[in-house]
Amino acid sequence: MSTINTPPAYKQAPWRRQLQIIGAFMLVLVIVATIAGLYLSISGRAAAAGRRIQQLEMRAKTLNLEINDLRTHLALISSSISLNDRIDSLNMQTLDPHSAVYLEVPGYSPDLRKEIDRDPEPEAPKATLLPEYTRSLWDWLREKIWTINPNPLQDANEVLP
Amino acid sequence: MKTHKGRILFICIIATVFAVAICVQFIRIQNMSVAQQILEDSKAYQGVTRLVYPNRGNIYDAKGRLLAGNETTYEVGLDLNAILKSQRTTVAKAVSDVLGMDYDQVLAYTEITPGNGNPFYIQLDGFVSPEKIMQFEALVKEYKEMKVGRNEIRPRLNGLMWTPHNKRSYPEGTTGSNVLGFYKYLDRTQGMGYFGVEETYNSLLAGTPQMVYTAFDPQKLSMLDEIPPGADLELTFNREIQAMAEQELDDAIEWSGAKGGSILIYNPKNGEIIAMANTPRLDPNEYWNYAELFPNPEPFNPTISKTYEPGSVFKAITVAIALDSGAVDLDTVYSDDGSYEIGGVTIRNWDFGAYGDVDMTDCMRWSLNTCLAWMAEEIGPDNFYAYLKAFGFDRNTGIDLGGETHWPLKLPGASNWYPIDLATNAFGQGISVTPIQMAMTVGAIANEGKMYVPHIVKAVIIDGKRYEVEPVLAGTPISAETASKVTDMLTETLMDESYEKANIHGYTFAGKTGTGQIPTEYGYTNPLTNASFVGWGPSEDPQVLVYVWMQEPTLDIWGSQIAAPVFSRIVEKLVVLMDIPPDNIRLSNQAPDQVMNIGE
Repeated sequence: MSTINTPPAYKQAPWRRQLQIIGAFMLVLVIVATIAGLYLSISGRAAAAGRRIQQLEMRAKTLNLEINDLRTHLALISSSISLNDRIDSLNMQTLDPHSAVYLEVPGYSPDLRKEIDRDPEPEAPKATLLPEYTRSLWDWLREKIWTINPNPLQDANEVLP
Repeated sequence: MKTHKGRILFICIIATVFAVAICVQFIRIQNMSVAQQILEDSKAYQGVTRLVYPNRGNIYDAKGRLLAGNETTYEVGLDLNAILKSQRTTVAKAVSDVLGMDYDQVLAYTEITPGNGNPFYIQLDGFVSPEKIMQFEALVKEYKEMKVGRNEIRPRLNGLMWTPHNKRSYPEGTTGSNVLGFYKYLDRTQGMGYFGVEETYNSLLAGTPQMVYTAFDPQKLSMLDEIPPGADLELTFNREIQAMAEQELDDAIEWSGAKGGSILIYNPKNGEIIAMANTPRLDPNEYWNYAELFPNPEPFNPTISKTYEPGSVFKAITVAIALDSGAVDLDTVYSDDGSYEIGGVTIRNWDFGAYGDVDMTDCMRWSLNTCLAWMAEEIGPDNFYAYLKAFGFDRNTGIDLGGETHWPLKLPGASNWYPIDLATNAFGQGISVTPIQMAMTVGAIANEGKMYVPHIVKAVIIDGKRYEVEPVLAGTPISAETASKVTDMLTETLMDESYEKANIHGYTFAGKTGTGQIPTEYGYTNPLTNASFVGWGPSEDPQVLVYVWMQEPTLDIWGSQIAAPVFSRIVEKLVVLMDIPPDNIRLSNQAPDQVMNIGE
């Protein structure tokens, strides 16, 4: 018994075959380009944010120095030496204790200590980088998929509290 | 066809072998010892690690006024890589004009080629004022806006850098400087506090330096951890009262011709130092004058570091011991014939007088040495010195200021102790004390027998949170009853005409004068004395204790003539500054926090 090797009844046209190969190649190329573009965009924004952080930290440092400077300057112009000079320049005299009269003023408290007896300063909110700058593309995809169907086993009619 | 397939196979094998060889080479290079070294070295180019020093904490007085803070100053230097060859003369001229440096010297710096052992950066001045930096900025602006011709070169200050940093500043200058101490700010990395609060609390004020890494790769940048500044300190010290005490001290020294002096204002109820005036005083902003102002062995703060024989102010302690131990009572009578024999030595009164039969109040009123010597014998040496130890005369008070000293107490049985010491110690001779010791111990009499450790820091403020320093009880050497008796006794004596110069109009205070002879190597041959006064009040509820010590006044030798009027002048101003109501108002039970002082 002999077998007959039958050729196929038809064959893809060569141009059609080439088009399929080019199409598949282009598809891969587009996907790679998209991922690369996305990566570049995100990493570019991350870098810009990093530089901004640096600038803001420098600014914060400068402002801290300025605050210290102003505080000291204020203390300097309100120091006992400066005040005495101003008293002299204004032809004023310090109080003679013998001429002091003690008067009762209900509700008056001369205690100025409250200036530094303040409550603890609220802690400045610490800036954190958005997750877009720290997570990977894979994390992002996984999160998106998870967000679409957070709990697939849950009954659709179930009412959550 | 067969030949063609063979060639392809051959090329594939060659390519595969080549690819495998590259991979092997990759792995080999990655694992070479030199590769690890290169990897380590590369870290230096990935970022910079710096040791960052926190801002030094501020120091405030009891009313929240800044006594020590930080101000901005600049470091000016040359970044040799950034200086353009054509601009070297421009940079040198700018530096020379603004900072007053030698032009040729600066020009020589700009001509240094960085690297190969030469520096990349040269610091020109570490402490340049903001005003001078503004001059540099004005020059930069001027050069930028300058119109230059086609063939001309625009002047630039590229490579001239200024970086801001903090400098310690003391806005009050010399006021309270003996208490504050100073910070050697010119040493920016090893600087530390010397003397006073700056020394004692140096580690708290300085904070903790931290290593901070900053990556050059912007993708690796993140928020740096904020470095907490050093702790702020709030003192018990009141700037107004301190300035007043210093002014009074200066006036008193000038008036009395004294060599120096100290005034201590102290709260006996909790040990807080309200003011501590001394001479001389250093401006801590110019601390480099220290050696000139305090030649060895002159102490920085005599109130805590200089001992002297106090004289009759010590009688307040002796009489307290005598009453507390039961050796005498207020009504006990002593017959004074003007002399008292002890250990083969005759003790006489300050005026060589004989006062006849006197009670204990009169003993104090007339400050009779003979009576006090007798009193000490009645107490007995063991009991007397046990009390002195309970009062703390054998040790430092423990005040939170650097440099405290004390004179070792001579005790019975020691080779340098003689029976006469018992008598002379009773009236403040042959025993040396610091003013802070006297204030603390007399504070026990003013505060129902309870003696508090003197302290200057009221609270520590860390990260905006305030931690109050609790007063520490140093002991209760005498009973409240004894303390009250001594206060009443010394209030009564202060009302006497002979103490007129210590009286305060409208207020009742207790107090005692002291005239201490100064020992030399030949005995008590120095004609000059130490004049002192200790007073506390208002007598029925003492809120303040004032100790005055005038060293070797030349106008008069007696404490009653020199120290007592200084005490009076200080307390007259003090009651106004501390809002202490006069007797007639206070004793009519008015709330003290609902009143204020005004001038007529």
